[in-house]
Amino acid sequence: MAYKHIIATFKDETVLLKALTRLQENKVNLVDIYGPFANHDILKKFTRESRLPYMAVLYGLISMVSIFALMYYTSVIDYPISYGGKPIFSFPPMVVIMFLVTILGTTILSVLTFHGRAFLFPGKPTKIIDPSVTDDTFYLVVDQNYNPDEIKVWLEESGADEIMEKELNT
Amino acid sequence: MIASSIRWPLVQGEKSYSDISKELTAPNETKPALWWYIGMSLGTIMLAFGGWAFYQSLTIGLGTWGLTNSVGWGWDIINFVWWIGIGHAGTAFTIFFLVFRQKWAASINRAAEAMTVFAVMCAALFPLLHMGRPWLAFFIMPYPNTRLLWVNFNSPLLWDVFAISTYLLMSITLWYFGMIPDLATMRDRATNKISKAIYGFFSMGWDGSMISYNRYENLTRLLGGLAAPLVISVHTIVALDFSISILPGWHATILPPYFFVGAIFSGFAMVLTIMILMRSAFKIKDFITDKHLDSIANVLKFGSLVIGLAYAIEIFIAWYSGVEYEIYTFFRARISGSFSTAFWIMVICNAIIPQVFWFKKARRNIWTLFAVSIIINIGMWYERFIILISSLAEDFLPSSWTHYSPTLVDIGVFVGTFGIFICGMLLFIRFIPIIAINEIKAYKKHGN
Repeated sequence: MAYKHIIATFKDETVLLKALTRLQENKVNLVDIYGPFANHDILKKFTRESRLPYMAVLYGLISMVSIFALMYYTSVIDYPISYGGKPIFSFPPMVVIMFLVTILGTTILSVLTFHGRAFLFPGKPTKIIDPSVTDDTFYLVVDQNYNPDEIKVWLEESGADEIMEKELNT
Repeated sequence: MIASSIRWPLVQGEKSYSDISKELTAPNETKPALWWYIGMSLGTIMLAFGGWAFYQSLTIGLGTWGLTNSVGWGWDIINFVWWIGIGHAGTAFTIFFLVFRQKWAASINRAAEAMTVFAVMCAALFPLLHMGRPWLAFFIMPYPNTRLLWVNFNSPLLWDVFAISTYLLMSITLWYFGMIPDLATMRDRATNKISKAIYGFFSMGWDGSMISYNRYENLTRLLGGLAAPLVISVHTIVALDFSISILPGWHATILPPYFFVGAIFSGFAMVLTIMILMRSAFKIKDFITDKHLDSIANVLKFGSLVIGLAYAIEIFIAWYSGVEYEIYTFFRARISGSFSTAFWIMVICNAIIPQVFWFKKARRNIWTLFAVSIIINIGMWYERFIILISSLAEDFLPSSWTHYSPTLVDIGVFVGTFGIFICGMLLFIRFIPIIAINEIKAYKKHGN
């Protein structure tokens, strides 16, 4: 038998925030929240800090070192040419390319990390909780293992528009 | 969100989230008006003219252009710098206003980013064509090859290749990532199967999960942080193409910041032109309010002051340096000589006319705004003309002085890029929500 969740709908994100606070105070296991836009207060309360920026620093360092190694190898070791008597190993012009490739490499690798972690890719089959989720409704999905009746009361008291028990298809 | 009495509403009228979706997807869901077809036809004619010029340049060679031994960079590089300048405003809108927490940019950044993508495409075409043999363009990429050669990393022209490629990729990424939630909205609103499948493909199965939103917001902020120095570096590198040489008028340390401010200035002017046209065409005055246009006009006023100062400093430094060639270029060739008409058009269009925006009446008059935005873009084109041609046509040796004028092929390539830009923008407004729906919803309560 399919597992059902308690799903509460909200048209107003401030009401949802109230319900979210109430459930979190009671240590209820929340599955996810779906909505038409990112509300920063909800994100702050519900999600944890992303580690992507730390990865980005690593990607930046890898990109910078790689392009420096390439430039050093090509300009100094493999094919040294003297341009108008300038030194074979000239660091200042390399800084420009290192700067650009650091940004380029970090961008590409961060985007790929995002796709891998969020499991989003072009052509991914659409599975949404309801078409209104991209329009005007927030959906708070709660695991009902804890105490379904109590959870429903808390949601109702917080002002949820609708509370239902439903199998989650996303 | 805290509503403050000193904040002006970003969205006018009492609208529900559903109303916002409906109004902002209307241009994509209804049949295009007559003006859209007229615009597309005009753009296609321009593209055809550009195609002919492109064909001539490829098959006959660069001899079809107005270049001479002295003026080796003509209309192509003027237009390259002009387009890349315009291409700066989109990312600047998103990034700098994100950094400065200017929420009003939410109504504008989608169209500004689209403008960036198409403008950078147009810009990249010029140096590509200027190579003479664009089919060998891959030679400029550093990869192991049978010629046993590597590229010259000391050359600013190679820096340009890296800068423009990175900038184009970054602009497309920022633009596309910004629209994923809106493409999902389009997918869920679509009534026919083909639209649903196409929007579904590009929306990447977006389900509105806050966990995904958190990662998405983090990625967007990260890309924004990376793009901010990139925007500055790209036009700095374009300026270095000139300032690293020894020509009078080019060999100046002020060129990088001067080019950057000019880029933002011309780009914002183009954003203003596009916003006015879009606002009138789609009746979205509730989202692009008078105050939005007023704010852009204020940015332009500030840009105009900085650009005016840069012109004055350039002239002062030429005089202060005591170098006779610099003095000749600025005081004779540009201010009072063969290029004086273009010089004064540049000064009047960029440094004087935009000062009209000190008056609130001018900032609130749609015709004044539109006229000044066009004037600035003309002025900025002349600025690039002055920088390039006056220094090349009259350099150190009077024996190498020459007269420069573009040929029909030069003009054709330029007109062709307008065709790319017009058709690209029209296709954008036809198929993609022109305003970031999810951002507008997030900021709806701002000031209301």
